Amino acid sequence: MLLFRLMSALLGYVVIMVTGEAPERFVNMAASRGIYLWDINKVREGAVLMKVRLGAVKALRHIARRTKCRLHFEQRVGLPFFYTRLLRRKALALGMLFFLGALYLLSSFVWFIEVKGNERLTVPEVLGAAAEAGLNRGMPRWSVETERVEEAIGEKLPLVAWTGVYIKGAKVTIEVAERVVPDAEDNRPSHIIATKAGLVKEVLVLSGYPAVKEGDTVSPGQVLISGEIPPLEEPPKPGEEQKQGEELKKTKKPSRFVHARGIVRARVWYDGYGEAKLVETGIRRTGRSGTRVSIKFNGKEIILSGNQNIPYELYDTETFVKTIPQWRNLEVPVELVTLKYFETAQYREERGIEGARSLAGERALAEATKLLPETARLINRSLEDIQTGHLENIVRIKVTVETIEEIGAEGLFKP
Amino acid sequence: MGWHDFKRKVKRQFSEALELPGDVVLDLPKIIMIGNIQLFIENHRGIIEYTPEGVRVSVGEGEVTVNGENLMLRNILPDELCVEGKIRSLSFL
Repeated sequence: MLLFRLMSALLGYVVIMVTGEAPERFVNMAASRGIYLWDINKVREGAVLMKVRLGAVKALRHIARRTKCRLHFEQRVGLPFFYTRLLRRKALALGMLFFLGALYLLSSFVWFIEVKGNERLTVPEVLGAAAEAGLNRGMPRWSVETERVEEAIGEKLPLVAWTGVYIKGAKVTIEVAERVVPDAEDNRPSHIIATKAGLVKEVLVLSGYPAVKEGDTVSPGQVLISGEIPPLEEPPKPGEEQKQGEELKKTKKPSRFVHARGIVRARVWYDGYGEAKLVETGIRRTGRSGTRVSIKFNGKEIILSGNQNIPYELYDTETFVKTIPQWRNLEVPVELVTLKYFETAQYREERGIEGARSLAGERALAEATKLLPETARLINRSLEDIQTGHLENIVRIKVTVETIEEIGAEGLFKP
Repeated sequence: MGWHDFKRKVKRQFSEALELPGDVVLDLPKIIMIGNIQLFIENHRGIIEYTPEGVRVSVGEGEVTVNGENLMLRNILPDELCVEGKIRSLSFL
């Protein structure tokens, strides 16, 4: 049926009004001659509305004459009629043509250039190299020579190992693959300085002059490995000792400056503090909760979902209000209020001295480990009860964590 | 019993014996109804009368009358017909 409708719309059909004494005879005769009629409707006595395909209209005229009925075309539907109407409306046809032409014309230019795969190169660098080879925004597509652009980018930017230029629609994609080039060594003079206070455990110098040795206590900011290498002091040769005084003045060589490298590991201590009550009472959430969404309008609140009365005896709430952003000085007096309510209950927990102590210890340890860097290696920890002298409902624990970690960091200096 | 009735009897027995559908051999209308909204008549001989309240269709022998409201001839072909609308009754005359 759908296919029939579709074909009818394509081939064209007319709605005709048949008037006369016996429109039934008209319908019978048309049907017996194989003319397909549909949606036959009687509007009043002696007048019937029906639909028929355009191809059968000629035969219908003959039938109408035979059955003494009159035909009247009420409506013309379908592509052929649309076409003739279009021919009459020249401006519309011209506009359609113009639209198609404009679409074709505009799609034959390069409107977008996309650069993909660049990590160290910037997009303007690649685009600049492409522009020199004749790839610019707004140029016609057919004048883009992809091979030439590829070559030019490869020549201009030595960092690029491979280039691909593709045209797809109005967009040109430049894909580059960069060479992996080792980083230039940083040779600016610098020290290695301590970031933390600690006890130096080991010093490994790759370049530079060690300023501390194992067992030294260092404070933050202190130079660990110096970038300034003092001149080598040659031991005076026997027989030249008498000259030493003047020789030193003469051959006082200047010290060398290097970029210090090395590893300095030290023992570092962290403190943490935690406390826990022996008997704890309070209010906490039970885990049951609900939400209520409502719209507030001029001080009135309309509940959209959720209960009007919160079904818990004890509860606390969290409210989120959403308002329409103010524009100019127009303010919409409507806001969406989401209320979350949580059931609460009183509780009392008796831990005992051991339980409280372990809980306080855990808390203290958690506080201390928060300060640790990831690379630190934990070697020791000690817990200590803080006694205040008199009996209390609280246990206080202080924890000390000892780690071994690298404490050096680069610190540039001007010689 | 006239010759016409005899011929019908023979035809009916023939179609029953060979299990052939009656609408082919006996030239009877085949009527399909979908609820009270749609009615198909195959093997019709033309419309006698059509109004939105009633459609009379000629079939091999006699006629079929459909009564209802807002009746509309959905389509019409040389041997098939579809009536749409609110059908209240169907009778053979």
